[in-house]
Amino acid sequence: MTEIQPTQFCTIVPPHVLDRLARSQDPALSAPARRTLEADAVQRTRRQLTAVAAPVPAPEATADVDAGADAEGAPECPQRTVHDCRNGTDLPGVVVRAEGDEPVGDATVNRVYSGLGATFELLLKEYGRSSLDGTGLPLNASVHFGDRYGNAFWDGEQMVFGDGDGEIFLDFSIPVDVIAHELAHGLTQHTANLSYYGQPGALNESVSDVMGSLVKQYTLGQSADEADWLIGAGLLAPRVTGVALRSMKAPGTAYDDDVLGRDPQPATMQDYVRTGRDNGGVHINSGIPNHAFYLFATRLGGKAWERAGQVWFDVLTGGELAVDADFARFARLTVSAAAARYGEGAEHEAVVKAWAQVGVETA
Amino acid sequence: MRIQVRRTGGFGGIERFAELDTADRADADELQELARQVLAKGHRTPPVGVPDGFSYQITVEGETVYATDPRLSEKESRLVSVVLKEGAKQT
Ligand SMILES: [Zn+2]
Repeated sequence: MTEIQPTQFCTIVPPHVLDRLARSQDPALSAPARRTLEADAVQRTRRQLTAVAAPVPAPEATADVDAGADAEGAPECPQRTVHDCRNGTDLPGVVVRAEGDEPVGDATVNRVYSGLGATFELLLKEYGRSSLDGTGLPLNASVHFGDRYGNAFWDGEQMVFGDGDGEIFLDFSIPVDVIAHELAHGLTQHTANLSYYGQPGALNESVSDVMGSLVKQYTLGQSADEADWLIGAGLLAPRVTGVALRSMKAPGTAYDDDVLGRDPQPATMQDYVRTGRDNGGVHINSGIPNHAFYLFATRLGGKAWERAGQVWFDVLTGGELAVDADFARFARLTVSAAAARYGEGAEHEAVVKAWAQVGVETA
Repeated sequence: MRIQVRRTGGFGGIERFAELDTADRADADELQELARQVLAKGHRTPPVGVPDGFSYQITVEGETVYATDPRLSEKESRLVSVVLKEGAKQT
């Protein structure tokens, strides 16, 4: 094999991310990270080759509206800036790490910087998209927002992370899927722009959870059956009875705690929750499309970001997903996207079955 | 004076409700003044929020104003924080 010329190649996920994961006390994280580190050279070579040799063109039926910009001249390196709010609420705060800077003394800053890089890399190398807007949008994040603020959000332009209260939530930058979840809100905003209420809102939330989990799996080099499919693993304080905030594999089982209450997510339409709160239950009913994606990806097997993730990405960016799309509309688009990209084979059958299992009609 | 705060949404979608009565407190005057100012300047309908941001419903003696992350005024922020941390919690 000829040696690859490392021209124009930017190291986006630095090895210290994996170092950190490998040292993690969570064996679900540490074991695969160790394996990934061992296989690192091989993996990187493969990804580089994939990226160089075969940027998969989108089929005409689901052509990305931004695909032209992606293919020609869009930046292939991220432009990350991490700010520190120093526990105030003025955004964005002071710059503490800009693109290309060495790691700093603050682990939160470094985790977010790396998480942004991992998300950028997945979008670019697997889906051929340069950043959230397809044209290299700079990625900005702020950490240490507020006083023991137990939350993370996307403000329309950037991600914001709180430190957690330490009693229920730890630092929101800990799980890489949380970082990618927030970034994916930016991706949705720049593409389908799903409204943030009711079913389209739950789809907006679900797309972020799907991307979040895919970035975690990509970082760890996990296949669909190796992945934990949890959102926010490592985020709950030790005293909380629970493993994460959401489970795509088994919605409704992530936590059951005296203070936190019980995970309210349904897995199927039969248990769909009608509520006006939480923007019409956007973080609740997202369990249904989340579970459909899990069923689709695990039925296919292999790496979930490859075929299952590609189908979801095609729907999100394809230009046909309406801002007010409901679950059924989204589901039908995934069925046609699977057929357009892969034909009437295993992928098509798997996605139809997945939606049927969660009670969403695609016919 | 009875002050209630309901916080909804957020990354976890976990709701919080807490209530306090200023009569029980040493800082009653200060809190009542803060609550009056929040009520006077607050939004009467929920402002548009951001993905995963918290939404707050602040009720003072039956009168309600709304706020959303990240655009809380400094006073709203202070009041919400005191009530959620020190008020009686319910779910
Ligand atoms: Zn979200």
